[in-house]
Amino acid sequence: MSREGWEGWEEESRELERRRRLAKQQGGKAGIAKQHARGRLTIRERIDALLDPGSFQEQGQATAIPDYDDSDNLVGFVPANYVLGFGRIDGRRVVVGGEDFTLKGGSPNAAGLRKSVYAEHLAVQYKAPLVRSLEGGGGSVKGGGGRRGGTVGEPVYAPPRFRIIADAMGQVPVVSMAAGAVAGFPAGRLVASHFSVMTRHTAQVMIGGPALVERALGARLTKDELGGAAVHAKSGIVDNVVEDEPAMFAEVRRFLSYLPSNIHQRARRVACDDDVERMEEELLSAVPRDSNSPFDMREILAMVFDEGSVFELNRGYGPSQIAALARLDGQPVGVLANDNRVYAGAMTAAAGQKYRRFVEMCDTFHLPIVNFIDQPGFMIGPEAERDGTIRYGMAAVCAAAQATVPWAAIQVHKGFGVATAAHYAPNNYVLAWPSVETGALPLEGGVAVAFHREIAAAEDPDAKRQELEDRLRNARSPFPRAESFAVHELIDPRETRPTLCRWVDWIQPLLEELKGPTTFPMRP
Amino acid sequence: MARVNIESEVTGNVWKVQVAAGAQVAAGDVLLVLESMKMEIPVEAPVAGTVAELLVKEEDAVAEDQTIAVLETP
Repeated sequence: MSREGWEGWEEESRELERRRRLAKQQGGKAGIAKQHARGRLTIRERIDALLDPGSFQEQGQATAIPDYDDSDNLVGFVPANYVLGFGRIDGRRVVVGGEDFTLKGGSPNAAGLRKSVYAEHLAVQYKAPLVRSLEGGGGSVKGGGGRRGGTVGEPVYAPPRFRIIADAMGQVPVVSMAAGAVAGFPAGRLVASHFSVMTRHTAQVMIGGPALVERALGARLTKDELGGAAVHAKSGIVDNVVEDEPAMFAEVRRFLSYLPSNIHQRARRVACDDDVERMEEELLSAVPRDSNSPFDMREILAMVFDEGSVFELNRGYGPSQIAALARLDGQPVGVLANDNRVYAGAMTAAAGQKYRRFVEMCDTFHLPIVNFIDQPGFMIGPEAERDGTIRYGMAAVCAAAQATVPWAAIQVHKGFGVATAAHYAPNNYVLAWPSVETGALPLEGGVAVAFHREIAAAEDPDAKRQELEDRLRNARSPFPRAESFAVHELIDPRETRPTLCRWVDWIQPLLEELKGPTTFPMRP
Repeated sequence: MARVNIESEVTGNVWKVQVAAGAQVAAGDVLLVLESMKMEIPVEAPVAGTVAELLVKEEDAVAEDQTIAVLETP
């Protein structure tokens, strides 16, 4: 309402509107066309595709570097090259932010840098999951101070800029998408996440790019050779590799569906239309009687959990260990299982690190863990020793030993050595299948060690060893562990789903009590 | 026509070779069986094709990520 004789703020408001419009122009038509030619979306297109339609609420809409002529007329307006705001995913509030690669290749300009640092603060302050779209190379030497002085660097009393990155991981779900070349600081942000995903053909992740590598090491490598999907599907740097950007957004939305919005809440339990009493006949013959024949653990998981709910993470890294999110009667759970087709499921150094991080994530967000055990032990051999396997394995054991979440362990098959301790936690519910085999060492190696004198003294040592192995194998029986209450229940494998679904009901009050911070959150 | 490298996921030994070079295979056919950590691990054809190269023989040692066969797809 305007009043006679009062001068209002129409002019500034009009100018503000214009500046907001200018700030949305990103790197201009040419910059946007170039981004599309690379097969990639712009940051604003990404945000729109990721979020529930129309839900984006931008923060800092008029941030830019302005340029004025001598008469104080605005003649240039370079938008901050980081876009940030709130939005919704499946109706729940999230914070989303990302570099604008159409401007300065995503390398932060002044306001862009402030907004990118603020993204973490915003998520922690409002207790909402953080989704980062990462693209760019981080800082540039052009931004550094010369000998002319001026104000360079952060003041000595400034708090560490990375503190909030570490803190965020203990407060809210953090998800990162590598949607182009990601190097330097952005690569650091990528791994400081609970879930990260990259596109197969249009993204690379590197600490230092080809020019740096050639200068430092004399090696000429392409971005893809250094940090393409083929490298990181196995390095563990990203959890999942997807074909294109729409698939990437789908993965992010799916991951978040298993987690609460922050550590003060519980993961959302959804209505389940899969029968909780479903008993799959095939489970009865899933584990072969010959313990040297591998079987498909993933098929077992698919038969037990709510139909279509198993979402595997980091499959190519430490592949002897499976880590996944899934649902049981609608309750989100963390799933651990051994893949015996890779080193019989043994815990390698990589598998140990994958295991520890996953347990810490489930602990941070109060997700119960369901663990299908087929553990022959820590990986052995010269490579395993060089990899420092025992340290990473013990880190996994310690993470489990201090886990606070309800934990169901299903003794499916093997359970040998110290590594098996990683599969149990203080709040255990222990089930065993008839196919269980446990002990200090597997029979094959164990007999050779325990009976070495007897075997050496025999006329035919090989035959003697075989005879001893057969004798012990035939003496094996699953019943004593049930009789001595060493497991809660020995079950028919077909009963696994109904039994676990009942357990999910029992643990509901326990999950309620876990809300809040854990003593040990997940770190990168 | 494309060439598909078949790599070993594990360090171990070649226990059995089930196909010969030149053989036609369907997706899921077992090409050879590796032995590692006392497990007999079948290596399956990921796609249908012809075995263009068989780079190992029985009892050979194989390393993680080593190419052990090459398929040629039609």
